[in-house]
Amino acid sequence: MAYNIPEKYQDLTPAPQLDKKTLNKMVWLSCFLQASFNYERMQACGWLWGILPGLQKIHTNKEDLKASMAHNLDFLNTHPFLVTFVMGIVLSLEQNKADTQTIRSVRISAAGPLGGIGDALFWLTLVPITAGLTANMAMQGQIIGAVLFLIIFNAVQFAVRFGLMYWSYGLGTKAVTMLTSNAKEFTRAASILGIFVVGGLIANYGSTSVRLIVGETQINIQSLLDGVLPKLIPLLITLGLYVLIKKGWTPVKCIVLILVVGILGCAFGIWSGNSQAMDADGNTLPGGYTPLVEWYEYPTPEE
Amino acid sequence: MQISIIQALLVFVVAFIMGIDQFSFLESLYQPIVTCPIIGAILGNFELGVVVGGAYQLIQIGSMPIGGAQPPNAIMGGIMATVFAVSLNLEATADGVGAALGLAIPFAVFGQYAVTLTFTLMSGMMAKADKYAEEGNVKGIRNLNFLEMGFLGCLFGILAVAGLYGGSLLGETLQNFSYQFSWVMAGLDAAGGAMRFVGFAILMKVMMSNEMWGFLLAGFAMSLLCSANKATSGATLILCAFVGVAIAIYDFNTQTKIKQNAGSGFVGGEEDGI
Repeated sequence: MAYNIPEKYQDLTPAPQLDKKTLNKMVWLSCFLQASFNYERMQACGWLWGILPGLQKIHTNKEDLKASMAHNLDFLNTHPFLVTFVMGIVLSLEQNKADTQTIRSVRISAAGPLGGIGDALFWLTLVPITAGLTANMAMQGQIIGAVLFLIIFNAVQFAVRFGLMYWSYGLGTKAVTMLTSNAKEFTRAASILGIFVVGGLIANYGSTSVRLIVGETQINIQSLLDGVLPKLIPLLITLGLYVLIKKGWTPVKCIVLILVVGILGCAFGIWSGNSQAMDADGNTLPGGYTPLVEWYEYPTPEE
Repeated sequence: MQISIIQALLVFVVAFIMGIDQFSFLESLYQPIVTCPIIGAILGNFELGVVVGGAYQLIQIGSMPIGGAQPPNAIMGGIMATVFAVSLNLEATADGVGAALGLAIPFAVFGQYAVTLTFTLMSGMMAKADKYAEEGNVKGIRNLNFLEMGFLGCLFGILAVAGLYGGSLLGETLQNFSYQFSWVMAGLDAAGGAMRFVGFAILMKVMMSNEMWGFLLAGFAMSLLCSANKATSGATLILCAFVGVAIAIYDFNTQTKIKQNAGSGFVGGEEDGI
């Protein structure tokens, strides 16, 4: 993080509207949103790849393109089929050369909630319905089941991707000109929304918990902590990392620290973790795994 | 079952493509209902593949990759279930293929390990991405995406071909291995779940100022409340966004009004609330 992303772009003249060809290209590239998915930034690098054709058209100034690329690598997680909505909004802000902080706040505020909606719409509704119907055909030996599944699923997917891109880009360009006349206030409001959503994300995506069950009376440490404040551990880790990053730690250093603490912790059975491993009879392990050093007894689940 | 080099190569290619498709591209080819018939056709028993695909698909419906959580891998599971069904020459009915599904589970677990490993290694590569962005290196960003897709595809291809030759014996070995080193895999799982906090911390660094702390905690509280309630838990983040938007718009209007008044000399001072 040696590079400090400037707050304002150098060239502040709004860029011309993006043409249809560029928008379509980004819709196709949006299919690769998760191509470089990882635990730290999730879809960030795939997002940047997808939105680059637009950014290159908008930022003819080389320094501005660098700044834009750098801040478009922020943590991002949204639903892959709905991502073009976020793209349209972000492109309209980039085009009007909004402050980088505004764009970053708006991006995470739009992307986060869409992730939840998309999961509910696609993974929990569209897939069960189409796959459920077509799986029965397949089990009777009819290949038409698979063909139907592919056709329905992809027709919906691409209608959503294209529709959202054009709709949100049009919407964004109309709204942004109005808001940028009060740029400073808009940045502040966007940051409030952004930080509010990040607070929500910590609780929503934070799954880190402890597995410890100690003492004669089998005290469950996690439920004690939950009594103090649910999701206390995710909150504390995030705040700790925030302090480290403010002190100048690089993200890589933080990740290595997490990796070491995670694996060492599981060697002693501290963290909850799911190894998905099974014993010889095909049963899953109590507590998700067997620690290297078993210094407390994990209760076997009651039948 | 005699397996020719051509068949092994084709299985590799299919596993390679599906390994990528589970996260990128069409995100539907990888579903067992599609994958299994293709593998069945390669191994010479198309009809059996169709039936295994249908049966596996029904199991799969309940375990979609949601919000970054990863269930046992449907692709490796589907491919290996078909391999076992064909090699054991099972009857092409929904009940007949049940045994193959069970034998495939260790491979599904290892497919998941391959994914976990890739996501962990790629977290380290994000520093490289930052550097490419700083240099304005568009090709570098593209290549990082190709790198992960190629790596993940190869892992899946290798695993599938190993399964093709190793069969159920390899399945048992894998199962024992994961049993013995379950703490390592659980550690990776726990660490993987915590790495997103680094991403959150970076976002906070961008947006945080002293008066923002209250909003961070308010969002945190809102999310906890919504997720604790069964009726609203599915819509947690959208509800957070509703409340956040209300606060943001209110603040925006207040601040612009203050600015206008300051301009008319009603309120003195240069302070405009930032």
